[in-house]
Amino acid sequence: MTPALTLRERSEAEASRLPPLLARAEHLAGTVLLGDHGRRRAGLGDDFWQYRPAQHGDSKRLIDHRRSARGDQQFVREREWQIAQSVMLWVDQGASMRFASDKALPTKADRARLVGLAIAILLIRGGERVGLTGTTLPPRRGNAQIIRLAEAWAQDAEPDYQPPEHRAMIPHARAVFLSDFLGDLDEVELALTKAADRGVRGVLMMTLDPSEEEFPYQGRTIFESVGGTFRHETLKAGDLKPRYIARLAERKDRLNQLCHATGWQFGLHHTSDSAQAALLWIYRALDGGHR
Amino acid sequence: MTVIGGIGFTAPWLLLGLLALPVLWLILRAVPPAPIRRLFPAVTLLLGLRDDESVSDRTPWWLLLLRMLAVAAVITGLAGPVLNPSREASGSGPLLIVLDASWAGATGWPDKMALLDAQLGEAGRTGRPVSILRLSAPEQPVFQSADVWRNRLPGLEPMPWQPAIAQITGAETAIGSIDESFETRWFSDGLDYAGRDRILAALDSAGPLSVYQTEKPVLGLLPSFFEDGAIQLRAIRSPSTLPQEGTILAHGRDPGGTARVLASATASFAAGETHAETALSLPSELRARITRFELQGQRSAGAVTLADDSLRRREVALIAGREDREGLELLSPLHYLEQALQPTAELLNGALTDILPAKPDVIVLADVATLSGAEETALTEWVEEGGLLLRFAGPRLAASEVSRNDEHPLMPVRLRSGGRSVGGAMSWGEPKALAPFPDTSPFFGLPVPDDVRVTAQVMAQPDPTLADRVIAALSDGTPLVTRKPLGQGQIVLFHVTANAEWSSLPLSGLFVEMLERLAVSSSAKPPEAEDLAGTTWTPVQVLDGFGALEEAGNLPGVEGAALAEDPLGPDLRPGIYASEDRRLARNVLTAEADLVPVTWPANIPVEGLSIERETPLGGPLLSLALLLLLLDVIASLALSGRLRMAALAPALMLGLAFSLVSPDARAREGEGNDFALSATAELVLAHVLTGDRNVDDVAQAGLRGLSETLSYRTSVEPVEPVGIDLERDELAFFPFLYWPISPDQPQPSDAAYSKLNAYLRSGGMILFDTRDADIARFGAGSPNGRKLQQLAAPLDVPPLEPVPRDHVLTRTFYLLQDFPGRHQGADVWVEAAPPDAEQIEGMPFRNLNDGVTPVIIGGNDWAAAWAIDRNGRPLLPVGRGFAGERQRELAYRFGVNLVMHVLTGNYKSDQVHVPALLDRLGQ
Repeated sequence: MTPALTLRERSEAEASRLPPLLARAEHLAGTVLLGDHGRRRAGLGDDFWQYRPAQHGDSKRLIDHRRSARGDQQFVREREWQIAQSVMLWVDQGASMRFASDKALPTKADRARLVGLAIAILLIRGGERVGLTGTTLPPRRGNAQIIRLAEAWAQDAEPDYQPPEHRAMIPHARAVFLSDFLGDLDEVELALTKAADRGVRGVLMMTLDPSEEEFPYQGRTIFESVGGTFRHETLKAGDLKPRYIARLAERKDRLNQLCHATGWQFGLHHTSDSAQAALLWIYRALDGGHR
Repeated sequence: MTVIGGIGFTAPWLLLGLLALPVLWLILRAVPPAPIRRLFPAVTLLLGLRDDESVSDRTPWWLLLLRMLAVAAVITGLAGPVLNPSREASGSGPLLIVLDASWAGATGWPDKMALLDAQLGEAGRTGRPVSILRLSAPEQPVFQSADVWRNRLPGLEPMPWQPAIAQITGAETAIGSIDESFETRWFSDGLDYAGRDRILAALDSAGPLSVYQTEKPVLGLLPSFFEDGAIQLRAIRSPSTLPQEGTILAHGRDPGGTARVLASATASFAAGETHAETALSLPSELRARITRFELQGQRSAGAVTLADDSLRRREVALIAGREDREGLELLSPLHYLEQALQPTAELLNGALTDILPAKPDVIVLADVATLSGAEETALTEWVEEGGLLLRFAGPRLAASEVSRNDEHPLMPVRLRSGGRSVGGAMSWGEPKALAPFPDTSPFFGLPVPDDVRVTAQVMAQPDPTLADRVIAALSDGTPLVTRKPLGQGQIVLFHVTANAEWSSLPLSGLFVEMLERLAVSSSAKPPEAEDLAGTTWTPVQVLDGFGALEEAGNLPGVEGAALAEDPLGPDLRPGIYASEDRRLARNVLTAEADLVPVTWPANIPVEGLSIERETPLGGPLLSLALLLLLLDVIASLALSGRLRMAALAPALMLGLAFSLVSPDARAREGEGNDFALSATAELVLAHVLTGDRNVDDVAQAGLRGLSETLSYRTSVEPVEPVGIDLERDELAFFPFLYWPISPDQPQPSDAAYSKLNAYLRSGGMILFDTRDADIARFGAGSPNGRKLQQLAAPLDVPPLEPVPRDHVLTRTFYLLQDFPGRHQGADVWVEAAPPDAEQIEGMPFRNLNDGVTPVIIGGNDWAAAWAIDRNGRPLLPVGRGFAGERQRELAYRFGVNLVMHVLTGNYKSDQVHVPALLDRLGQ
């Protein structure tokens, strides 16, 4: 079997997973009413804004002859000023995200991708450019970008905890980080400070499974990370609960402080909650940043 | 095997394992339960956290206890515990097992055999040769391997007698012939008998002897007898200090010939008493049916008494020729007979024709000479069916011409005219005495008293057959009593009168005994040896040791005296013996019998019969251990939180099952009631569901059409018709069933047929419609016709005829002459009129019987003609044009007439009397 063939097969297998995710993401995005996007000012943009009489200094090329031909005056076609923001997404592809404590719950990765893709759809409909952090998928427009995003997220990463990708950040762009943030926080700090240095602000959403929040375990237990790199054995899991919860709170606190310091927004989402709530929150958080 | 606390262990050393339990406890406490592996991405948060206690999450004490119990059960179970371990056999050398094997031990026989089996098994293991000796049927003992005897155990049965002298002697010689020393185990039945000490001495000297016997008292039933109008029943037991109750069952055949318990009585033994009495008062009809009495719960020949003639009171009809001499009681021809028979027989008086239907056992004709033709025929018939006709001579018989020239069928001999008188004033010679009875006579053996004298008699004509027929003669050889068989019965003639006019025979005790021998009467007391002297009795049914009656087969006959007195044994088995018409029961216990318990010398060990079977406990213990471990699994799962779904699922299933079942059952019950209510609240026409959808729909529509028509035209207003499933639905609610025949409908079950027959008998009507009159005549063998024959074969259908012109069906509402449906012309069949139906002069109709014809059979496909759809339009075409509509109208009229006939019966038939009634009213 040639490598190309296996690649084809694999890509087809992967692609077969795309439509459901896409469809769900579209569905989710459809629940959010699009708000105002245009700047309500003439400027650079694709959409027609108004005709105005040609003034001195306007390039002749700008004259709209179809409108001008109706009368003697010459008109210039103005377009709405549309600033296409670049929004860079980072969804944790690490193994730790592929976890759900209950069959009825989606895995964290599933939820994070769903929310990520939905926000991407919304943003692209709003005319923004959406891409991934790093160099793999620079921000672009158009529906094709959604497919590419979905393809990119269809691949899982091996390591247990992935550090946020902070390379090739476009200055003054927006960023959305979706992860459980259970790995090394120093990496997150590094990424955020780097982003802040470049004027990139954004949203950090911690996606947790309910069991990670509540720690409902008892008895002698060996806890293993999904990738199997970490392991902790306890004789009385129940006794660990208060200390675990304290540690989790501490981590959330630190993330929150980091965000404050860098001008980011910190959100918390549980896979047991509805994805729509997370989507709305992110959307509003991004929108709020615009204004 | 080691016995600890009554429980034996095959591997007792394994029990030492129990010592390890405390250690196990400590280990189990120390070792934490196996960890659960869980995926948990937030493990990074846990890294570095230490457990507060170095000791593990402890297993709960009850779980530990559960596990310890399981382990203990395993250890104990593997150690091979045995409840009631049998003790090791002691002794060696040959083993002689002596069984009384009498009826007294039959009740506990299975226990005895079980113990014997166990002992034989033990002897087999130790290799001892064994012999078994039954004292009631001794045989030469043969020492064989115990296994051989074990195979023969089922053949060992108790005998219905106790060892008598003959058997004791036989057993003694058998024991004496064994020339080595042996151990003896004697299974005693608990009753003493003569000669037991001789056996005991012989056995005791031969080697060690131990005795096994049950402590339960032996129960027996003494022969019953009839006294004071009731059957006196006495039960007896070997002495016991406890009060006890015995139910005595009277077995016999009911009028249908089925063996059953006819009556029962309870006899109560007071504490310390050995006798219990009770009485059973039964009508003579029922009493005569009793064949045996039996103590309930006892299974021995001693607990059974057989009923014989002493319980059976024969019915004797007394008919005299002369009833005109009022006041002269002692001269009445029947007086002495009445006196002789009163205590032992039921006497019937009345006219011969009235008595004969009552089927008496005996009819006595005292000096009756001529009988009317009808009487004679009836009497002959009765004798031929087994009756005993007992005739006495007298002046009328002597004077009559009966049996003078030709032998009269109801006379055993021809008679000379006039008879003779001897020893009278006008005659020579002495009054004659009786000659001893010949051995061919039923009276053989009866002592002849000297004082019986005969002064007058009728004389028999010498005939070639005379010698055979004489059963008693006078000293000069003239026949006194003659007899001849007729059919299954016999005719006996006493050549003297039944009163003391001609002889002193009726005054003597011999007269009563003769009547007894002739089975005219039966004695209430058991007969003595001299009563039975000279008779031979053949066994009819004999008892086995368990008290079951079996046919005697070709067992030899028994002398009468021996039957009365000899002890029971192989030659004289208890049972029913017959001689001529008499039946005598020889019971195991005689009236004077006493049950004496056996007393054993103090040096002989006596043990009970109860054996406690070895019960291995290993299996149950191991199962218990498994169960405990299963519990442990569930408990461990529950503790570690892995049990949620597993536990919920069965509970959910159960709940689901309950919720599914109960409403369904309730619904079904309600359905039955609804059906009954809807079927009876209003008149409902019904059709039988054939399973053919099309036929059923047409039948439904047809009955709907008929119901509509009825509602319009008559006061009968049926509601929506229903289809009937013969297997399921009750038919009694419907006065009328329409049954269309389709060739492939299923044959109803037997239950359905019995329901249908009950329906027909209780006044229901079924209209069978083969629906094929267009292609076949009735019974011409069309598929539907053949199916109808199959379907109707098990039905209780009376003879049929085509509807006669004056059948009430032709005029119950409309006047009709033919009965078209969708087809026209085929015959319609109804129950045939009785053959004696006659047309009364001046009346248009015959005066027919009552009742509704249960079936009407035709093939005109009426339902199709009646059928309407929901809008009331005819569903199917009938004929063509106006003629077709006329035919449909006639079909409706037939339907109306039919329902009227069903509902009003022969009301219109009664109208035949109207002219007569009017006529009478006019006067």
